[in-house]
Amino acid sequence: MNIDTVELGQVQEAAATAPGLAVGINRLVKRFGDRQVLHGLDLSIAPGEFVAIVGRSGCGKSTLLRLLAGLDAVSEGDIRLDRQDAKAAREDVRMMFQDARLLPWRSVIQNISIGLEGSRSQIRARALEVLAQVGLADRADEWPARLSGGQRQRVALARALIHRPRLLLLDEPLGALDALTRIEMQRLIEQIWRQHQFTAVLVTHDVSEAVALADRILLVEDGRITLDEAVSLPRPREHGETLFARLEGRILKRLMTVEAINNRNQIRGRITEIVVDKVLSEVRILTPAGLLTSTVLTRSLAEQPLELGGDVLATFKSNEVLLATEG
Amino acid sequence: MSWHRTLPRRVGSSLLPWLLPISLLLLWELAARLGWLSTRILPEPLAVVQAGITLALSGELWQHVKVSALRALTGFAIGGGLGLLLGLLTGSFRRVEVALDTTLQMIRNIPPLALIPLVILWFGIDETAKLFLIAFGVFFALYINTFHGIRSVDPALIEMGKSYGLKGWLLYREVILPGALSSILVGVRYALGFMWVILIVAETISAQAGIGYMTMNAREFLQTDVVLLGILLYAVLGKLADVAARLLERRWLKWNTAYSAA
Repeated sequence: MNIDTVELGQVQEAAATAPGLAVGINRLVKRFGDRQVLHGLDLSIAPGEFVAIVGRSGCGKSTLLRLLAGLDAVSEGDIRLDRQDAKAAREDVRMMFQDARLLPWRSVIQNISIGLEGSRSQIRARALEVLAQVGLADRADEWPARLSGGQRQRVALARALIHRPRLLLLDEPLGALDALTRIEMQRLIEQIWRQHQFTAVLVTHDVSEAVALADRILLVEDGRITLDEAVSLPRPREHGETLFARLEGRILKRLMTVEAINNRNQIRGRITEIVVDKVLSEVRILTPAGLLTSTVLTRSLAEQPLELGGDVLATFKSNEVLLATEG
Repeated sequence: MSWHRTLPRRVGSSLLPWLLPISLLLLWELAARLGWLSTRILPEPLAVVQAGITLALSGELWQHVKVSALRALTGFAIGGGLGLLLGLLTGSFRRVEVALDTTLQMIRNIPPLALIPLVILWFGIDETAKLFLIAFGVFFALYINTFHGIRSVDPALIEMGKSYGLKGWLLYREVILPGALSSILVGVRYALGFMWVILIVAETISAQAGIGYMTMNAREFLQTDVVLLGILLYAVLGKLADVAARLLERRWLKWNTAYSAA
C-alpha cells in the first residue's frame, strides 16, 4: 500500500513536468581552428526519443554531443531545446561521460549529491533513492576507488538522474566495460529511460548497443548524418534474435562501406603512365588537381591490369592511394 | 586459529628491525666502559641518558626544546603560508603565473644557506634572521608543490564539476583543492624536513636559547654527552614532524588507496 502511493506520487510528478526535451539542430557547424568537424548538420529529435549515434572515431559524433551539453561553443548554426535557446534549458541536460568522472575524494553519496542545494537530510534521502534505482543503495558511503568499473558508471548514472534530466547525453558510457556488464548496464539504462521518459542521445562505437537501445540510429560520417534509420523492434530486445542480428549486420555493413562512397578523400583521373618494376610499380594519374602517383604491387597489377588512358577513382588512405576502375 | 600461529611471527618481525641498533648501542656502551673510547670523542650512551634526565629535571631541556620548536614552527608558518598562498594564486590564475613565476623560479635557485652573510647584515644575529632563513627555505617546497598540484588536477573532473553546476569557490572546494592536496602534502613533508636543517644551521651561528645554543655551549665545556643529546633531540623532533605529516596524509587522503591504512 505504502509503496503504491509513493509510486503514484512519482508518476504524477513525472507527468507534471513534460519528461522529454525536444531537440532541434540547424545547420550546425563546429570548427577547431582550421579543422572543421561538423559541416552544417541538421537533426531533430522528438521528446522522449532514444537516439543512438554511431560512426568511426573522429567523425564528429562526440563533438555533437559536447555541443548539445554546452561543453563547447557552437561555431555556426544553432541548437534549440524545446524551441528555445539551448542555454535556457541547461539545467535539464545532463551528460554521462565515457569515464565515470567521480571525485575520488568524495564518497559515492557525496558524488551523487554534487551541485545539489537543499537540506542535508533531504539531499541524502534523494541520493539514496536514485542509488536504489541503479542498484547500489548498500554502497552509499564507499569511496569510488573501491567500486568496479560497472559500479562507477552506475554511480555516474545516478548522479545524472538525481537532477531529473529531460535530456540525457551518453558519451560511450559503456565503452570500457566487459561484455556482460555492458549488457547489464544497457538493460538498466533502458529501464530507467522507460521509467523517466527523458530524451536520450547515446554516442557509441558498438552497433549492437545502438540496436539494443535506440528508437532511431544515426550514422555520422565526416560531420554529416549519412543514415537515419528507425528501429521498430519490440522491447526489451534480445541480442541473439534474428531481426536484431539482421539490422545490426545491415548497419555494420553500411558503416564499413561508407568510407568508400565518401567523396572528400577521392579524386577521379586518367592513367598517363605505368612504370613497372620487379616488386613495386608506379601508376601516374592525371587528375583535375594535378599529377598523382600511386605505388602498387607489381603482382596485383598483373592480376588486375590497368590500361593506359583508362579512367580510375583514386582514394587516399592514411598511408597509400587506392585505385579503382569503373564497372 | 591462524591468529595464534601468526602472533609470535608478528612479534618477531616487529622486533627484527631493532636488533641491529640495540646491539650497536650495547657494543658502544661496552667500548666506553672498557676505555676503548675516550669520553672526549664519544660519551657512553648511559651518560647521554643521564644528561638528558638531569637537564629535563632542572627544566632547562624543555626550555630549549620549546624555544627551538617555536622558532621552527613560526618560520614554517610564515614561509609555508606564503608559499601555499602564492602557489594557489599562480596555479589558479594564468595572469599571476605570468607575472610572478619567472621571478620566483629565479630566486628558487639561491640556496638559503648562501644568504647567511647577507641575512646577518640585514637583521643582525637575533631572532628575525633565523625566522627569515627558515621561512625562505620552506617557502619554495610549498610553492612549487602547490602550483603543480593545482595544475595537475584532472581537467576531466573540472569539466564534470562545471557541467554539474559547480563554479567559483564551490568548484575550488569540491574539485580543485582536494585534487591538489596530495601534492601539497608532499610539499609540507619536504618543507618540514628542510625546516630542521635550516634551524640547526641558524641556531649554530648564534643563539641565546634553543637546542643549538645548548649544544654549542656544551661544546665549549667539552660536555660531549650534552652535545650528543642535542643531536638526538634534533633527530627526535624531525621524526615527530614527519609523523605529524604522515598523519595528515592518512586523514586527508584516506580516499586514496595508496595512503589508507588498510
